[in-house]
Amino acid sequence: MTLNIAVLVKLEPDFSEGSVSYNPDGTLNRAETKSKLGAHSAIASLAAFYTKVKYGGYISVSSMGPPMAEIALQEAQSICDADELHLYSDRLFASADTLATAEVLQQGIRKMNNGKEMDIVFSGHRASDGETGQTGPQTAWKLGFTFLGNVIDFSVDLNKRFILAKRLVALPGFYDIVEEIQAPLPVFIAIDPLYKPIFDTISLRLTSSRYLKEAKERAANYKTYLKVLDHKKLELDPRFVGLPGSPTIVHKVEKIPKARTTRTAELIEGYDREGIKNTITKILQLVQK
Amino acid sequence: MIMITMNKIENNHSTNNDSYRHLFVIIESINNELIPASLEMLGEARRQMDHFNLKYKSNEKVIAIHLGHGIKDLSKDLISYGADAVIYADDPHLKYPINKIYTKIISQIVTDPHSLKEISPEYVSIFKKPRYMFFLADSIGRHLSSTVLAELDSGLASDINKLVISDLDIKHQHKTKGETIHYQKVLEMYRPDFSGFLWTTILCLDNKNPEIAKEFHPQACSIIPGAFQPCVQDTKRTGIISQFSPQFDEQDLKIKVVKQELVKNPVQFENYKIIVSFGRGIKEDPEANIKLVEKLAKILDAEIGISLPISKKIFHLNEKYDSIYITPNRVVGTSGRKVTPVIYIAVGISGAIQHLDGMKDSDFIIAINPDENSPIKDVCDVFIKGRMEDVIPVIIDELSKRSGQLKEKEIQVNTYGKL
Repeated sequence: MTLNIAVLVKLEPDFSEGSVSYNPDGTLNRAETKSKLGAHSAIASLAAFYTKVKYGGYISVSSMGPPMAEIALQEAQSICDADELHLYSDRLFASADTLATAEVLQQGIRKMNNGKEMDIVFSGHRASDGETGQTGPQTAWKLGFTFLGNVIDFSVDLNKRFILAKRLVALPGFYDIVEEIQAPLPVFIAIDPLYKPIFDTISLRLTSSRYLKEAKERAANYKTYLKVLDHKKLELDPRFVGLPGSPTIVHKVEKIPKARTTRTAELIEGYDREGIKNTITKILQLVQK
Repeated sequence: MIMITMNKIENNHSTNNDSYRHLFVIIESINNELIPASLEMLGEARRQMDHFNLKYKSNEKVIAIHLGHGIKDLSKDLISYGADAVIYADDPHLKYPINKIYTKIISQIVTDPHSLKEISPEYVSIFKKPRYMFFLADSIGRHLSSTVLAELDSGLASDINKLVISDLDIKHQHKTKGETIHYQKVLEMYRPDFSGFLWTTILCLDNKNPEIAKEFHPQACSIIPGAFQPCVQDTKRTGIISQFSPQFDEQDLKIKVVKQELVKNPVQFENYKIIVSFGRGIKEDPEANIKLVEKLAKILDAEIGISLPISKKIFHLNEKYDSIYITPNRVVGTSGRKVTPVIYIAVGISGAIQHLDGMKDSDFIIAINPDENSPIKDVCDVFIKGRMEDVIPVIIDELSKRSGQLKEKEIQVNTYGKL
């Protein structure tokens, strides 16, 4: 048997230098900033690719977003050699919070690969712009899938239909925990940024390069793999998506007041060697205390 | 097959507000030790509800929910740190915080009126769901809050660092159909955005628009560790401790944690007297500038931190630098780690508030930045005005003249290993 694999991706602002633009007050200038496949979405695509290479499978990639989000799907296809691309695009979906987004995504996942049940759904750790990390687990819950977050490595037992996953659970100011967890399929995996696939056998490398070549060819003709679905095609009630379906609203956006001036800085000009020497003396005194 | 979504619209427009009561706080512990941030969250819950009860002449409780195995004895601590009541579930199947199992048990507790029979018996007959819920925005609570709120079908805001309960007049295209409606006891949830310069206030509001009428309770959020202070422990405080007997689905018990290892974060800021952090100011030549920072850190025996924007991989770097430095566990700030070294050197960091909150308690702070108006200047002791490319070589040069006063240390590459 092979696996039915889904990947959820997102078109996000490109924060890399040259693409990103900030307003004078330090906030993101969305109009001037370019968009691309989110960095975490790319890692999710990579995890799906590894799964396809190692175990065989059919990959469906989907995204909810405006029509231009198809470039994110194309980029994801070039990474994971997707067999199918879904774009859930409808003005009614706009401005959805995480719960209303999850509603669309779960319904979309049920329609992938002609309605076959997915074995593994991959998502990124979180979006670089929204950064809530909530959409993945909420989609998993609506699907009834076991959610595994912060996954840094995984292996699948195809016969027993089990997954073994290694998770990094970070508890700020406390411990980090590395956990190995097993769960029956289907599962929903939010892949951790530390995940790195390793193609460590000749057969994996050969399969990988063959699929990668195919991926580039497919991505060049991505439109033939692309289906665009609106709320009608997804059979979604407009009351449960977009703004009407969102429990939360953004009430206001304000500048965070500047931190209280806690210290009065001594200003040293960069060319003032004496000033820098004095600072170094101070550093050495403090460290040796 | 047509699969229309299963949600129900509740047309009952008259809300009995008493159906939604209390602030429930989801406590986390590992190996029967409370996670410190749980107590911070509990402290904020206490302050909020004291204020709430005074303002609304009410008597709503702070109820701590705690799941685990052998955790019963921690209930007293939770009372002493501000909870009015603790509902705990103690079972071998709850030893590890497995998302699916925890989600179901927490949802059982907070929707079962009988959970409250010892805590507020007068409301057992009408209680439906919590009014408010707090979770931790860590690797456990972030996902747990998401799935619990998906189950409870209500709204959630993540990574909150300020909370206000107030009455608000709301006019919203969808929520109120454009009319102004007075909402009471609204939890205003403030969340710093990714830039660290903006605060977005999230509200979870009932749809009062008759066409989409629906009640959304609880109002819930996940809270950034370190954002709030715990209450001072008061062992004389009393409260109700109530046990909940969880019901498990057999199928869920097939999910098993087979191994768990407590590891220290490979980046141990705590072991260093000096931390050198870099931010977007490396942009003119990222790789060369990281090398400069690396060299400075070596001479000073310092650990290297980064600002949040850097962790978004905004520069193209060779894989070595990328994997050593551009990792979330080096981020200093409320979205990363809070540090208090003897000396903190901020290189090319302008000073978004979320960064400043993570380092401002350092003993001595030095900033290197060409822009004198950067917010970082307000929290530092020495501000060296200049480009890092010009300033750091001078510092290195001067430091090397005094070599012997400082020892060099190799920087290690650490990973958590493969399966």
